[in-house]
Amino acid sequence: MEELLPESVLRDAVDLMVRLVEAAGAVIIFVGAVWAFARFVAAGARGGGRSRTFTGIRLSLGRFLALGLEFQLAGDVLRTAVAPSFTEIGQLAAIAAIRTALNFFLGREIAQEREEIERERDRERDRGPGREAAGARPGTPPR
Amino acid sequence: MTAVLHSAALAVTAMGLLAVLPAFRASGSIRSALAVLLDFLTAAGLLRLAGDPSWDSVALAAAVIAVRKLVTTGLRTAGR
Repeated sequence: MEELLPESVLRDAVDLMVRLVEAAGAVIIFVGAVWAFARFVAAGARGGGRSRTFTGIRLSLGRFLALGLEFQLAGDVLRTAVAPSFTEIGQLAAIAAIRTALNFFLGREIAQEREEIERERDRERDRGPGREAAGARPGTPPR
Repeated sequence: MTAVLHSAALAVTAMGLLAVLPAFRASGSIRSALAVLLDFLTAAGLLRLAGDPSWDSVALAAAVIAVRKLVTTGLRTAGR
């Protein structure tokens, strides 16, 4: 086996894969940040009062971050294939722990914000018909 | 690659600082604008963690994420 696949070749291959996967994760995070920035600037230029649009942008940014994190975690898992020293293993464990915790919190925040959007939409739907009826006959007293 | 990642992290931090004002205008609350800044700072921390991270950058990213979590929880509690 040693002759078929020398450790140095395995190490190089894993290193290359880790770099590719981590670069993909970094690109996703960067693109998400740029996209969210552009949307925030556009929303700010249009003016205030659109909290649903604002929450939607934050939700998308959170999704980009979570996706980038998943890629980086995949890189960590790949790295465990070859980890020569205890220092490297410790570092890897710390980074993986941070990323896993952040992924968990991000997932929770995304779920909370999605609920918030749903609640707001429901509230608007409930408020909608009443307002229409009042607008149709402004002088009629309420029944 | 590390230099590129650091530049990207710096750019994301700058974007976060610049996005606070439009976010405040769009949402109408300083709480949400601050949350946006913290989101961008988290993104920058994650970019710094990619590549070949040192113990310092690991500690820094952990600190940013802890502060972010603390402030977000604080803001959410204060908002109720």
